[in-house]
Amino acid sequence: MSDLSDTATQVSAIRAMIARHKRWDVIFSMIGLAAMLLGVITLLALFLDLVLDGYGRLNYEFFTSFPSRHAGQAGILSAWVGTTLVMLVTALAGVPLGVAAGIYLEEYAPRNWMTDLIEINVTNLAGVPSIVYGLLALGLFVYQFDLGQSILAAGLTLALLILPVVIVATREAIRAVPGSIREAAYAVGATKWQTVAHHVLPYSTAGILTGMIIGMARAIGETAPIITIGALTFIAFLPPSPVSTTPPFVSFDWLLAPFTVLPIQMFSWLSRPQVAFLENAAAAGVVIIVMTLAMNAAAIWLRYRFRKRIKW
Amino acid sequence: MNPEVQVAVRKATPAYNGAMNPPSKPELAATGASPRTASRPVIKAQAKDLNFYYGGTAQALKHINLELAEKQVTALIGPSGCGKSTFLRCFNRMHDLYPGNRYEGEILIHPDNVNILARNVDPIEVRMRISMVFQKPNPFPKSIYENVAYGLRVRDVKRRSVLDDKVEEALRGAALWDEVKDRLHDLAFNLSGGQQQRLCIARALATDPEILLFDEPTSALDPIATASIEELITELKVRLTILIVTHNMQQAARVSDYTAFMHLGELVEFGDTDTIFTNPTNKRTEDYITGRYG
Amino acid sequence: MEPIHTHISRQYNTELEEIRSRVLQMGGLVEQQIEQAMIALVKGDVSLGEAVIMDDTKVNKLEVTIDEECNQIIARRQPAASDLRLVVAVIKTITDLERIGDEAEKIARMAVRLAGEERPKNNYAEIQVLGQHVRQMVHDALDAFARVDVEAALRTAREDRKIDSKYEGAIRQLITFMMEDPRTISRVLDVIWAARALERIGDHARNICEYIIYFVKGRDVRHTSLEQIEKEILGR
Repeated sequence: MSDLSDTATQVSAIRAMIARHKRWDVIFSMIGLAAMLLGVITLLALFLDLVLDGYGRLNYEFFTSFPSRHAGQAGILSAWVGTTLVMLVTALAGVPLGVAAGIYLEEYAPRNWMTDLIEINVTNLAGVPSIVYGLLALGLFVYQFDLGQSILAAGLTLALLILPVVIVATREAIRAVPGSIREAAYAVGATKWQTVAHHVLPYSTAGILTGMIIGMARAIGETAPIITIGALTFIAFLPPSPVSTTPPFVSFDWLLAPFTVLPIQMFSWLSRPQVAFLENAAAAGVVIIVMTLAMNAAAIWLRYRFRKRIKW
Repeated sequence: MNPEVQVAVRKATPAYNGAMNPPSKPELAATGASPRTASRPVIKAQAKDLNFYYGGTAQALKHINLELAEKQVTALIGPSGCGKSTFLRCFNRMHDLYPGNRYEGEILIHPDNVNILARNVDPIEVRMRISMVFQKPNPFPKSIYENVAYGLRVRDVKRRSVLDDKVEEALRGAALWDEVKDRLHDLAFNLSGGQQQRLCIARALATDPEILLFDEPTSALDPIATASIEELITELKVRLTILIVTHNMQQAARVSDYTAFMHLGELVEFGDTDTIFTNPTNKRTEDYITGRYG
Repeated sequence: MEPIHTHISRQYNTELEEIRSRVLQMGGLVEQQIEQAMIALVKGDVSLGEAVIMDDTKVNKLEVTIDEECNQIIARRQPAASDLRLVVAVIKTITDLERIGDEAEKIARMAVRLAGEERPKNNYAEIQVLGQHVRQMVHDALDAFARVDVEAALRTAREDRKIDSKYEGAIRQLITFMMEDPRTISRVLDVIWAARALERIGDHARNICEYIIYFVKGRDVRHTSLEQIEKEILGR
């Protein structure tokens, strides 16, 4: 009989102990929830505020008009065209460089102190303030290479900016390819390049693309370096078209044209006293946020598409 | 005996007719000759005083001398860390993929007497003659067809008809053709574990290697898949030389013609499987085989 | 009994030791059967003879038990090398021990039959000597098994020759008795059967020695001449 009551007291003691420990589960989950809600709600509130302020200005004319001294007629045509073109240059310059550098560092570079040094520096570069890139670009691209205050200079600057992000993402993606796949490829008689090109790269595409899009999403909002290299705040014209009717049918003049981008346009409107311009700035802000969100969504979707075939 | 089994056995066995000769067994003729019938085996590969150092300093193999008989299965057994996988991977220069490793000694491949460990011999060339199947099935995340064809593509074989033929031949050789012939372009990952491993074997076979290396090929598989892979190995040895590392002694006993017992980087004993498992010469071998120590 | 080096699996170790000790237990029983059958024969003790006949069932039961245990070991443990040879040697040994038991039972039957007859002048002297020798040989064989001693096994195996010649001598003498006095023929025939049984026991004991050699050396020496065995195993 005493055995039974012993067991009973033991069981209830254990239960009480578990209940005590579980209280911490509950407490922490509540703290975590509160923290998350705080962050999310704040951001949502800011975004909502922006939308409410700028909602009235989001119409077709807004997207197709040049900026003007009259708030009601000002639009972001030159700004979003400029953003798009700069992003194009950034992507074309930054991504191949970053991916190639990532592949080299991960697959080909010998493991010695020099490679370690380069690795550390690349990771650190991701944290350098963007205005420093702007200064570098001013000295190097604008003056030394004599590119002037152009789309090309801006694009190259931002390419440098996102380079560390792309390199790191590429390396992580490549590292995620299991060694067993590599060994399988080598065992069949593949050379290093065949292994990289046929196996490592295709399977790390998801990660590389993600890195690329995250980099671009960051670059889209960078204002400081663009200001430093001198993007103008009042551009009432578009850069020359890349396609022309006379041979050769492609022209590169647009690369060297002056330009503006969305963040700069927003910044310039914000410095005006009139309330109407603030509404314009809010609208431009909404546009920037939507573009960023769209790019991130694209990154997630692409990741999903490419990850489906892989099961490790 | 279960009555159904009794009936089955009776049906399968021919009647006693007082003749002196036992009924013929056609299945045995299809498998390779056992070492008992061969007078002196032809040597396919020979390790001569092989030493191996990980990272240049940690010695993992000590003065290994071993001969691989042609078209026979040689098994490497031994406790964990004895160097059997290390030794296996010397044969296709896998250690070259990681920096710092150093070989000493020779591995000669016959009939052309090439030392595959020589610095002036390209590891890729070695891997074109010697293929490997790994412990955990590692098919590429491609279709079944592309998995098998990859080895051929790497050798610049482009003609579709040639590829088709070789893929079919390899899949037949791996006893997988009938199961996958209708879904060659399905993803390889959709196959079961045993099928994936047979796919890896087909991939290794597609390039007509001279020697096939197996690194614990069934340790990740269930007993039925294991048995089918073992059966496959017995069929394959008719055409090529096989070296298999296994930590399952009974598998070595079932599948191999020759067995080598390794311990702490040394080759302790080497001989034909029957002798090693009934009457080994070395006490360490005896202790390991009978489970007197791990 | 000399222990063999222990396995990692203590249970497996126990199982192997178990069959070894059971074989010796069976051997002891069988040895006792021989001794008692001989006493029954010489002294004309009917009740002792009948006791031996009944005890043969114990010997048979032991054979079945040990056989079953060996089957279990093969099924569960897949023994290899010396363990495999031990199990095979045990299975063969118990067969021969069981036959020895049967032969002892035959001697006991003869003893019961002869108890009622007239006792011979020499008090079964030739049988007694043969019986003593055979009993010693069985004892030595079991001893060699316990100590896993190849040289002892070889020595004991050689004894079978001596037993064979002693048996021939005994037969010649018994034939002489039959020729001298034809009235003793049926009685002497029974003695001859007993002698034959003893000679058979010697053969079985020699078989057991061959199994010991197989267990230790891994060489199957059945149907090989003793000279050949000595040359190969002992190198002389």
